[in-house]
Amino acid sequence: MEWYFALAFLLSLILIFMAIGTPIALAFLAANVIGAWHFMGGQTGILQMLNNGFGALSSFNLVPIPLFLLMGELFFRTGLGMKMFNAIDQLMGKVPGRLSYVTVVGGTAFSTLSGSSMGSTALMGSLLVPEMERRGYKKKMAIGPILGTGGLAIIIPPSALAVLLATLAKVDIGALLIAGILPGLTLAGFYIATIFIQTKLDPQAAPNYELEPVPLSAKLKLIVTDILPMLSVMVIIVTLMLIGFATPSEAAAFGALGVIILAFIFRCMTWEAFNLSVTGALKVTLMAYLIVFGSATFSQLLGFSGASGGLIGWATSFDLSPILMLLAMFAVLLVLGTFMEQISIMMLTVPIFFPLAQALGFDLVWFGIVVLLALEISFSTPPLGLLLFVMKGVAPAGTTMREIYSAAIPYILCSMLLVAVLIVFPSLATWLPSMLQ
Amino acid sequence: MRYAQRGYLLLLNGMALLAAIMLVWLMVAVVLSVVIRNLGLQPSAWFFLSTEYAMFYLTLLGAPWLVRQKGHVHIELLTSVLPPAALNILSRGVSLLCVVVCGVLAWKGLDLVLLNIERTDYDVRAFFVPKWILTIVFPISFSLMAIEFGRFVVGHEILHSGEAGIKE
Amino acid sequence: DQINAVHAFPPSLIYTQSFLEFVDKVNERGEGVVQINVRGGPEVIGLSEQPDAVRNGVVDMAYTAASFYAGTVPERDAMVASNTNAIYARENGGIDLLNEIHQEKMGTYYLGWFDSGVSYNFYTIDGPSVDGEGNLNVSGLRLRSNPVYDAFFQDYLGAQPISLPTTDVYAALERGVVNATGWTQIGLKDLNWDRFLNYRVDPAFFSTDMGVIVNLDKWNQLSEESQQILQEVAIEHERDSAEQLAELAKEQQAQLEADGMQVITLEGEAAQRFSDAARDATWERMRGQMERHPMGLEHYDTLIEKFNDL
Ligand code: NA
Ligand code: NA
Repeated sequence: MEWYFALAFLLSLILIFMAIGTPIALAFLAANVIGAWHFMGGQTGILQMLNNGFGALSSFNLVPIPLFLLMGELFFRTGLGMKMFNAIDQLMGKVPGRLSYVTVVGGTAFSTLSGSSMGSTALMGSLLVPEMERRGYKKKMAIGPILGTGGLAIIIPPSALAVLLATLAKVDIGALLIAGILPGLTLAGFYIATIFIQTKLDPQAAPNYELEPVPLSAKLKLIVTDILPMLSVMVIIVTLMLIGFATPSEAAAFGALGVIILAFIFRCMTWEAFNLSVTGALKVTLMAYLIVFGSATFSQLLGFSGASGGLIGWATSFDLSPILMLLAMFAVLLVLGTFMEQISIMMLTVPIFFPLAQALGFDLVWFGIVVLLALEISFSTPPLGLLLFVMKGVAPAGTTMREIYSAAIPYILCSMLLVAVLIVFPSLATWLPSMLQ
Repeated sequence: MRYAQRGYLLLLNGMALLAAIMLVWLMVAVVLSVVIRNLGLQPSAWFFLSTEYAMFYLTLLGAPWLVRQKGHVHIELLTSVLPPAALNILSRGVSLLCVVVCGVLAWKGLDLVLLNIERTDYDVRAFFVPKWILTIVFPISFSLMAIEFGRFVVGHEILHSGEAGIKE
Repeated sequence: DQINAVHAFPPSLIYTQSFLEFVDKVNERGEGVVQINVRGGPEVIGLSEQPDAVRNGVVDMAYTAASFYAGTVPERDAMVASNTNAIYARENGGIDLLNEIHQEKMGTYYLGWFDSGVSYNFYTIDGPSVDGEGNLNVSGLRLRSNPVYDAFFQDYLGAQPISLPTTDVYAALERGVVNATGWTQIGLKDLNWDRFLNYRVDPAFFSTDMGVIVNLDKWNQLSEESQQILQEVAIEHERDSAEQLAELAKEQQAQLEADGMQVITLEGEAAQRFSDAARDATWERMRGQMERHPMGLEHYDTLIEKFNDL
C-alpha cells in the first residue's frame, strides 16, 4: 500500500470513530485492531499490539503524572488550595483577572520543576479550574493559561524530552536545555499579555468584585500562614532536585508527600479528603493512560505501515527556500503531533530533519527549540491533543470539549507567534548558550 | 442470579480498589527508594520495577470501573446535536462497537496469555518475571469492559448524555 | 525475496548504522534475488517487543540485543561474557551452535553476531579508590543499573545498582543522583555523559550482544540463493564490524582521554579478580536460567569453550 493510502486509511478510521462519539481510548483501540489486522498480518498483529501496549504503559516515564495528580487533588480536597487562593486574591487587590496571572506565574514556576506537560497540566488543572470557576471566572480564563503553561514544561529545563531530542539529534544537551529558558519566559510573557487583552475585551471574563482594603499586617499574616507553607513545599522539591537527592521524575512523589504532611500540620487531613483525592487522581490517570495505551500503538502503526515515513519523505522532497522548508517541517510535526506520541515523532523525524536543517544552514540548537515548540503546540492542538483530554478529565463537570478547544486557541497562537519571533530573532534561543560556553 | 450480580460488582470494584492502592504505592515506593538511597543504603530494584508494573496493572484493572462511571472522555461533536431518538440509536451503536473491540482484545489477550505460558516467556528487566503474570490482566480487563459497554447497548441507560460534557 | 526488518535503536546510534551498512551490502549483492526493507526502529515496534515480533512473524528480521530476549535464550550470556569476538566464535562453530539453540528455543534463525568485541567500562564522576589488595572500593559509588552488568556488580561488589529511566540518566549524572555507570567503549560522547564522568576503570569487561534474528519459517521459505547471500554477507559483516568497531573504540577512548578523562587501572591479581568476577557472575546467571528450560545445561560447557579464548 502506498504511504498516502495507508495514512488516509488510518487517519480516517480514527477520525470517524472519534466523530461518532466513541470514547477516545476505544477509538484508538478500534483503529488499532483494524490497522494491526491489516498491516501486521492478521491475528498475530493483534497479539503484537497488546505486547506494544504493555511496553508503552510499563514505563517509569509515566509515573510522575499520577503523582502530580495526587498532589493537586490533595491540595484541593484538603482545603489548603482554597486558603492559598483566598490569600492571593486579597493580596492582589483589584487587578482584573488576577488568578489568571497567578496561573501563568505558578504554571511557569511549576514547569521548571516538572519535565512533564501532562503532569503539569493535570496538576494545575485539578488545582485551579474548579476554584477559579467557583470564584466567577469564565472557563477560558482558567483553562487557557493552564494548557499554555503545561506546554512550557518541555521547553524550560529540566526537560526529559529535550534531553532525548538532543541525544537523538546529537546536539549539545546542555546548550539545548539552556536555549529553552529565554523562549520559555518570553512565551510566558505572551500569555500574560493575552490575559490582559482578554480582560480588556471581555470585562465579564473575570470577576470584578470589590474587596475590602486589607491592612499591611493582615497581608503579612496571610503570606506567612497561607502562602509560604505551600511555596515552601515547591522550594523543597526544587532543592531536592538541585542537590541530587532525587531526579525530576522522582520529585513528584515528594510533592504529594509534602502536601500530605502540610495537611496534617494544618489539621485538615481527613480520611474523606484522602479518599476523594485518590479517587480523583485515579480517574484521570485511567482515562489518560488508556489513551496512551491506544495512541502509542497507533503511532507505531503509522510508522510500521510506512504512512508517517512517507509523509516526512514527501514533505522534505521539494527544493524550497530555507524558510519554506522550515515551515514544511514544522507543518509535518504539527500533523504527526496531532495523532502520534511525542517520543515516536522525534525518533521518526530527527534522522531526516536535523541533517536537512544542517544542510540548510540552520543553527541546530535553535532548530531544536523550534522542534520542541512544534511538539508542544501539537500536544494541545484540537481535536486530538492529549493535553486537551487531560484537561477534560480534571475540569469541573459540564465542561465541554468545545470550551476547552476555544480556550486553547489563543495560547496556541502565542506559541506560533514565538516561532515567528524565533525566526526573525534567532538569538533569542542562541544567545544564552553562547554566553555560557 | 442476585449473588452472581453481587459477585461481579465486587470484582469490578475490587479491581478499581486495587488500582487505587497501586497508585498510592507509586508514591510510597518512589519516596522509600529515594530515602533509602540517600541514607547510603541499597534500595531493592523491586521498588523501581514495581512502579513500572503498577502503571500497567492499574490502567487495566481500573478501566472497566471507569466505563461504569462514564469516565472515558469522548468528543461531543455529533452527540450533542442529534435529536433524542437518533442519539439513542447512535449511542447504542457506539457502545456495541466498543463491546466488539473489547471482545476481540479479550479473546486475543487470552491467546497471548496461553502463548506466554506455553513458551514460558519472561519479561526481562532487573528481574525475570513470567510474562503471563502481567498479560493475564488483558483478558480479564477487556472482558469486564465488554460487559460494561454491553450494559449501555441493551440497558436502560445509554453512554452519551446528549449534553456536552461528563455528568458526574 | 523480500524481507521486512526492524532495528532496536534509533539511527543516531553507531550500532544501528552498522546494521544499515549490512542491509546496504545485502541489497547490493542480492539485487534481483533478495532485498531487505527496513521498516524502522523502536518507533515502529518497541525495542523489547521486537524479538516477539520476529518470533510471531509480524516482521521477518530484527537487529537487536540478545539481552532483550534473555528469558527465552539465556545462552546469550555466552556472548555477553565472551572475551573474544564473532570472528573467533564463527570459526570454531560457536555461532552455529547458538543458531541451533535459537531455532529450537525461539523459532528464529540466528544470522550473525554483529559489532562484537566491544566491551564495557565503568565510568565514575569522583576518583574511585582501591583497597590494600588493589581491588576497586565501592563505598560511595552509586551505580546506574543496567540488566547487562547488574549481576556482576551485585556479586563482586555487593552493591545494589540504582534503577533510573534512560531519559533521566543525564539529569541524574549532572546532579550526582548516580555517580557511576557502565557503558560500552563506544558512544559515551554521543550521550554527552562525558561532561560529568571523569574517570574510567580498566580493565574493560563483557562484550555487546547485538545480532540479527530471522523468523525461522520465513528463513526456510527463502530460496537457497537468498539464504546463501544473506549468510555470506552476515559472516563478512561480523568480521568487518568487529574490526571497525575495535578501531573506533580505540579512537574514542583516546579522544576521551585527550579531553581529560583519567584512567584508573586495576593491576595484577586485582585486575584478574575483577575480570573473573564479571565472567563468573554472568556464567552463573546463564547456568541458573538455563536450568529452568527443558534443554537444561546441555550446551553450557561447549558454549563457554567456543565463545572464549581461554
Ligand atoms: Na521543565
Ligand atoms: Na502553548
